[in-house]
Amino acid sequence: MEQELPPSLKAKKFILWLFVVSSTIMFGGFTSFYIVFAASKGKGHGLVLPDVFMYSTAVLVLSSICLFFAAKAVRNQNVQTQKIFLSATLVLGLVFAWLQIDAWSALYQTGATLVNNNAAISLIYIVSGMHLLHIVAGLCFIAISLFGAFSNVPAQKAVYRIEIASIFWHFIDILWIYLYVFLLLNS
Amino acid sequence: MSTITLHDTHNNGHHDDHDHGHHEQSFITKYVFSQDHKMIAKQFLITGIVMAVIAMGLSILFRIQLAWPDKSFPILETFLGKWAEGGRIKPDFYLALVTIHGTIMVFFVLTAGLSGTFSNLLIPLQLGVRDMASPFMNMLSYWFFFTACIIMMSSFFIQTGPASAGWTIYPPLSALPKAIPGSGLGMTLWLASMVLFVVSQLMGGINYVSTVLNMRTKGMDLWKMPLTIWAFFLTAILGVLSFPVLVAGVVLLIFDRSFGTSFYLSDIVMGSQVLPNEGGSPILWEHLFWFLGHPEVYIVIMPALGISSEVISVNSRKPIFGYHAMVYSLIGITVLSFIVWGHHMFVTGMNPLLGGVFMITTLIIAVPSAVKTFNYLATLWRGNIRFTPAMLCAIGMVSFFISGGLTGIFLGNASLDINLHDTYFVVAHFHLVMGSAAIFGMLAGVYHWYPKMFGTMMNAKLGYLHFWVTFICAYLVFFPLHFLGLDGVPRRYYAFTEFEFMQKWVTVNIFVTWSAIVAALAQVAFLFNFFYSIFFGKKATQNPWESNTLEWTTPVEHIHGNWPGEIPTVHRWPYDYSKPGAEQDFIPQTVPYSETMLSNMPHDFEGNAESERIQREWDAKNAPEKADVHFH
Repeated sequence: MEQELPPSLKAKKFILWLFVVSSTIMFGGFTSFYIVFAASKGKGHGLVLPDVFMYSTAVLVLSSICLFFAAKAVRNQNVQTQKIFLSATLVLGLVFAWLQIDAWSALYQTGATLVNNNAAISLIYIVSGMHLLHIVAGLCFIAISLFGAFSNVPAQKAVYRIEIASIFWHFIDILWIYLYVFLLLNS
Repeated sequence: MSTITLHDTHNNGHHDDHDHGHHEQSFITKYVFSQDHKMIAKQFLITGIVMAVIAMGLSILFRIQLAWPDKSFPILETFLGKWAEGGRIKPDFYLALVTIHGTIMVFFVLTAGLSGTFSNLLIPLQLGVRDMASPFMNMLSYWFFFTACIIMMSSFFIQTGPASAGWTIYPPLSALPKAIPGSGLGMTLWLASMVLFVVSQLMGGINYVSTVLNMRTKGMDLWKMPLTIWAFFLTAILGVLSFPVLVAGVVLLIFDRSFGTSFYLSDIVMGSQVLPNEGGSPILWEHLFWFLGHPEVYIVIMPALGISSEVISVNSRKPIFGYHAMVYSLIGITVLSFIVWGHHMFVTGMNPLLGGVFMITTLIIAVPSAVKTFNYLATLWRGNIRFTPAMLCAIGMVSFFISGGLTGIFLGNASLDINLHDTYFVVAHFHLVMGSAAIFGMLAGVYHWYPKMFGTMMNAKLGYLHFWVTFICAYLVFFPLHFLGLDGVPRRYYAFTEFEFMQKWVTVNIFVTWSAIVAALAQVAFLFNFFYSIFFGKKATQNPWESNTLEWTTPVEHIHGNWPGEIPTVHRWPYDYSKPGAEQDFIPQTVPYSETMLSNMPHDFEGNAESERIQREWDAKNAPEKADVHFH
């Protein structure tokens, strides 16, 4: 059942954790900018965020749940289930990306453009855009894992790949929830 | 990451397999896209040296301008063309020179050149590891760095010249492409280069941290690590925690420059044109920049501190004084460095109460720094000192750290800083404490580990020549600058001696410039020594400095995987020098206590009652006088 990873793979998994830390700090930098900006100007973005963000958040959470079941399937060496759930994660991830872009166009249509004299509004685009870059990277991890499921890689490697994908994908899931809640609370 | 998973064949941690010898390697995989940490270290070092020479050349150019602002040097026009029309450096180009000098020295030489070289070389070698956690990422780290260097240098070959907003690139100057020539394409290249540089540093730093935490050899617990490794480890953590904030700041700056957002811009009139940007604030950039920028100066100095600890202990033939205190002070510096960035911003209209907080945290850093300084001196005290070139450089490092650190106490005072801010006093301070000190730490490292890197020895006589001339000239260059600063001379001015109240400083400027030129010439001795010795230097023995650490147990000839057979096990801390009762004045980390019964001390066993009992019985039988001393 549980496969122990060899030390070299453990060290590489640890690398990903460190990346998660530094990425968190980058977003910490953006949100600190927001806080200091909002405090000094006495105003935030002042918008009602488009509903699309709500749907995209739900989609992303759902994709995380699918990935959780996919990882469970890998550990149980159930390739069929793994394929289904990984594909679902992949599709939901793509839907999320599409919804984010949709949210931008909704923002744009209300006049809340990227080029804006309220930097707080510009920052909505920046943080969601930088997050979207992470989504792209996460989709690559998931695609690699899925590719492995189709090409029957050794069990240990499959476990390693899905663990890497899981750490990263759940991270960007939580990261987005943080950003969304942050933007909701600091309007 | 996918590619990384395919590359785990080199170091899959099976310490007992013996097939780690030479893989057949082509020229490309051995010297260019190498994944061997030792080769990557050399790549970082040589690139760093080339960049240092370039940055030093730039500094000589602007020193010439400062010393002889009215004189024409036709040769400059030959080399610099329209940037030195009529043989005089133009004001715009002067600003570009100081900007690129600072950028290269801080980031490319003292961050990548120093950490990149010695973390790469020593983390696996001193911890008993075959290679880094991810050799592939390690290789990428170098090539991102190399590309960053090329992009940074390419800005000298464009019409508008390199970035000129200073190495801290404060907006609005850096955010408005039309502000000065250097804010155009040059600034764009600067930002592109720095993004690649940060990527390189993150890949390197993450790798170092993971390797130190996960891959140490048997017996190498954290408290048996040499202080070099502690320093590199904490430096890497600093980088991983602070560089991302610079990325955040740079991303916003790029959007301000290229897309018209107003993160840092507000109320700007250029010429007769009112810019539409509103609401942003350059102070926000300063916060984001200095949140990286201050840890950055410790990223620069901590590896130098670590290297000096090792070199001083080895060449004093004494255990480092206060090993634990050294580690805790490094940790203290690491933690404190994140809460002091405001001292760069005392005069930005900061709330005096907040200024007071930053002042206190800043001054507290003096405590761990002083602990380290006193420990160096206590290690030297009554040591059996061997004045190798590396040792001289390490002592030089301590000297600069003291003389530059003392002025930090003045600058850290929020009220004194009103006078001293942005004057030559600041220039003098950081050139001594982080510039010269870190460079001397790096030189100490080069002289000390050169035999490990190239298998040959550097010439000691040339080393002494290089050290003394550089050491004296560095003081002659930077010490007088304090007095300019106290007199209120501002930094980054093109020709400040044209102002009447600063005219008197022109003679000092000439003196400083001549000292800088002599110091630059002294580097020829180093460069010749360095490159000549690679090919024609005396062959090195396996352990030329009679040192305890693991890297000296590897063969002189490099092999990928470092140790031909099994990786050695570690039994003791790295500083058993001149231990009473030992046969030699050094006991390598690989020697078990069972082989050194005569020199073992009660505290060596870390409370292991069984070992203590065996030792006590042995002492009673073989060395009764020792038993009397230690166990009663």
